[in-house]
Amino acid sequence: MIRLQNVCFNYDRDRTLTDISFHINKGEFAAIIGANGAGKSTLCRLLNGLLKPSSGSVEINGLDTGHTKSSVLARQIGFLFQNPDRQICRNTVAEEILFGLELLYKDREFIAERLEKVLSMFGFSAEDNPFNLSRGERQRLALASLIAVEPEILILDEPTTGLDYKECIEIMEIVREMNKKGTTVIMVCHDMEVVLDYAERVLVLSGGKLIADGETRSVFCMNDVLEQASLIPPQMASLAGRLGSGFEDVFTVEEMTELILEKSNEKRRVEV
Amino acid sequence: MIKISNLTFRYKDGRKNALDNINLSINKGDFLGITGTSGAGKTSLTYAINGVIPHHYNGDYYGSVRIEGEDTFDTSPSALSLKIGSVFQDIDTQLVSSVVEDEILYGLENFSVPAVEIEQRISSALEAVGISSLRYRSIESLSGGQKQKVALAAILALRPKILLLDEPTSELDPESSVQFYRILRELNENHGITIIVVEQKIMLLSEFAKNILVMDTGKIVINGSVREVIDRSSLLEEIGINCPRVTSLSNRLKEEGVYTGSVCINVEEAEKMVRSIIDD
Ligand SMILES: Nc1ncnc2c1ncn2[C@@H]1O[C@H](COP(=O)(O)OP(=O)(O)O)[C@@H](O)[C@H]1O
Ligand SMILES: Nc1ncnc2c1ncn2[C@@H]1O[C@H](COP(=O)(O)OP(=O)(O)O)[C@@H](O)[C@H]1O
Ligand SMILES: [Mg+2]
Ligand SMILES: [Mg+2]
Repeated sequence: MIRLQNVCFNYDRDRTLTDISFHINKGEFAAIIGANGAGKSTLCRLLNGLLKPSSGSVEINGLDTGHTKSSVLARQIGFLFQNPDRQICRNTVAEEILFGLELLYKDREFIAERLEKVLSMFGFSAEDNPFNLSRGERQRLALASLIAVEPEILILDEPTTGLDYKECIEIMEIVREMNKKGTTVIMVCHDMEVVLDYAERVLVLSGGKLIADGETRSVFCMNDVLEQASLIPPQMASLAGRLGSGFEDVFTVEEMTELILEKSNEKRRVEV
Repeated sequence: MIKISNLTFRYKDGRKNALDNINLSINKGDFLGITGTSGAGKTSLTYAINGVIPHHYNGDYYGSVRIEGEDTFDTSPSALSLKIGSVFQDIDTQLVSSVVEDEILYGLENFSVPAVEIEQRISSALEAVGISSLRYRSIESLSGGQKQKVALAAILALRPKILLLDEPTSELDPESSVQFYRILRELNENHGITIIVVEQKIMLLSEFAKNILVMDTGKIVINGSVREVIDRSSLLEEIGINCPRVTSLSNRLKEEGVYTGSVCINVEEAEKMVRSIIDD
């Protein structure tokens, strides 16, 4: 449903993205990871049609973004900017959520229903002023406005940056819920623990090139890729790497605990 | 060197106290990490230390903050900034110039640094932060992370005794965040600069800080060495602070009765722990 073929992009003379090809199916949860300046935000803007490729093509549900109006794409794609303050522009929470809904729908009753649904899902009061909310709450409001129109695809550029742990989990659980209902999710994220916990697939960018694309756990095992992209693997993966053979494929605290208990029982059995 | 006594502050429009009876001493040469959920009062505490509170915010102010014996209430923020260099949370409001070099020059001229010293101060500050190549770049063209480094360089050029930073790596990727903290450690260990840094990522603090202070609803909840603080992981989790996963692992193994040593704060310690359990 999302297909990139040999996409190149440059803002000015310098090439920002080079020869990127991949496709993402409906219902996938993919993370885009890479160092600052690798081209992650640029790739997101190509995916939602804000930018058009310099060469190659980007297709969303069979529509070539180069020949499709952004308003048509906007029905299908919800886009969360890296900083929510770029997105929020109304005086009350309700107006903010209505803004997107009213652009896409006409039926008053339908709109009112959706508004109620989203307000209660996020626990917002309709009349609150967005600018009195904390950064974490504004991030949730920006997400709520996107989810209100129930897009098929959610593109999230660093949705948890600047949030504390609780706020981060709140956002991610909502995103997971949407994904379970069939929404395709593409998320840029610097927190590898979050990537490990939520994304099934990882695309690694380095210097504007796609250097790896695969199942999350298998990408976290590619040491050369992680190094090239200046990524620090999740702690349990680093620990497993240091412990060496017998600890392959251990990524979570639960898995690590289980394996250690097993091994310590074996040791005791041998001693007895 | 910094002594805060019975400090309480409520912003003019605040519904509750942003700082609630804070008592705290920070010694010369410390590397103190301040953490807590959002709204805990971390930024307000930094404001109280550099004089932004009470000089730029109205509100109810009780208690005192003394920097080397001088009460911040009676000292102007600009006099305080000779001792304390601050890197604020919102980086775009901190940077005033359009070119990197000018940003550093601006501070030096404001502090009447002699002209003969200026070139050396600019180049060494840029070098210390690793951004010599950005010297003539326009600030507008920089990424958030690069801007955070420019702000740090501009502050370092003034040679403060105390560096106060509010979430300085929020825009940086993990590898660059670690590099940023290595710079702070260098300044702390080799130049004797006292570091006070607000940070959400407790993994960075457990690796680089000497002491950690945990805030919640305007109060200090825990204040101690990195190990003392991480040791209280169940309290931290209750407040909503995420412990490093190696810490959770050592807690789980304690619960299971296979480990009795102290809590792990980094991967090296976790490796030792696991080997002690499974090796002969
Ligand atoms: N509007 C722009 N004009 C010119 N160059 C840009 C613009 N936006 C980003 N860049 C450059 O493109 C590269 C990739 O940036 P970006 O996609 O924002 O990276 P990331 O999101 O991975 O940090 C960087 O070198 C950046 O400086
Ligand atoms: N300018 C202000 N006016 C009124 N209340 C404020 C202001 N700034 C912060 N607060 C309130 O003070 C409390 C502490 O905020 P802050 O120090 O920014 O926390 P943190 O940095 O830990 O997120 C919060 O409840 C916040 O809403
Ligand atoms: Mg980006
Ligand atoms: Mg703050």
